[in-house]
Amino acid sequence: MAETTQLELVTPADIMVQKPAEMVVAPGAEGLFGVLPRHAPLLSDLVRGIVEVHENGKVANRFMIDGGLADVSGESVTILTERAEDLDKASRDEVKSRADAASGAEAEFLNAVLAAL
Amino acid sequence: MPSLKDLKTRINSVKSTQKITSAMKMVAAAKLRRAQDSAERGRPYADRMQQIINSLAAKADPSSAPQLLVGNGQDKTHLLVVVSADRGLCGGFNGAITRQTRTEVARLRGEGKTVKLLMVGRKSADALRRELGDSYIEALEGIQGTSVAFADAASIGDKVRDGFEAGEFDVCTVIFNKFKSAISQEVTLKKLIPAEVDESAPSDDQGVSYEYEPEEEELLAAVLPRNISTQIYSALLESSAAELAARMTAMDNATRNAGDLIDRLTLVYNRTRQATITKELIEIISGAEAV
Repeated sequence: MAETTQLELVTPADIMVQKPAEMVVAPGAEGLFGVLPRHAPLLSDLVRGIVEVHENGKVANRFMIDGGLADVSGESVTILTERAEDLDKASRDEVKSRADAASGAEAEFLNAVLAAL
Repeated sequence: MPSLKDLKTRINSVKSTQKITSAMKMVAAAKLRRAQDSAERGRPYADRMQQIINSLAAKADPSSAPQLLVGNGQDKTHLLVVVSADRGLCGGFNGAITRQTRTEVARLRGEGKTVKLLMVGRKSADALRRELGDSYIEALEGIQGTSVAFADAASIGDKVRDGFEAGEFDVCTVIFNKFKSAISQEVTLKKLIPAEVDESAPSDDQGVSYEYEPEEEELLAAVLPRNISTQIYSALLESSAAELAARMTAMDNATRNAGDLIDRLTLVYNRTRQATITKELIEIISGAEAV
């Protein structure tokens, strides 16, 4: 396996993902950016969008995040976000029922998740 | 001297109280494990957020830094966010918060400042309503159940932020019980606005120069509002773990006290019974002797 960088996706309630990745693509406030191992230290604001985790040259996982922060160093990427949803595990019906029950920012986010599914 | 029947009733009533307290203790213990767990899982987010703010704040220029970090230059109106429990029967938990709030309000008023209160949790809000009710800007309840939702913390955070931006207060502090261990809690005051920055903490970048996207100050302005919700969330998590721990300890003591009481009452009961028997025997014997 090629060189990897340690990805951590942290929400207020939990560390959602913790795994090595070959490349992470994150929705920066000034545009999408990809992070490879040995990336220069970077602190970036994120907007609502999709974080892609690349493994073996392919997209392995996709997460919808609701804005946040990315703290990138040579060997790790830490993404802090208030809300995140695993697009490979989420089911349409379940997200839909949660979106109907939620209100405000939460509902907006879940609708965005729904659109991306 | 109470009759045998009275004693029996008393013992039974204490026994049923003991059943309730020991059940409550077990419920609290089971929930505590979950609450403690979620308090611990919430820490990485809050810690990293704090680290980022520390390193950004160290670089920011104090004269142009966001007001959430350095304050708005005034110190007249204080907002206290008081986190207590919705339910009682948890020992000194709510009492400690209420007392601390009272002292803090008295101290601030003594310095000639205006105090506003945002009460989270029913108990302290009720306890202080008579004396400080006029200063309440809101009293929220039903937020701390078995689990604390981030959305609730975020909505409190929004209120605080909007209030600050509207100039309703200059300084904001949260008062809550911090979970130290299963048997001890600590009343903690944490300053939200201006943000508490640990200048002495070694910044995590270790001389590496970070690139910022967007610029430091814009980034700081984006992070600080989120930090308020995060801090409130972690206060709520700590407080609900502390509440359950306090309830567990209180109910454990109550169960033990009930046990002691039952022992004492049983002793009195047995003595009384024996006394009655002896009295009856004496009556029979002296009756027989008289014949």
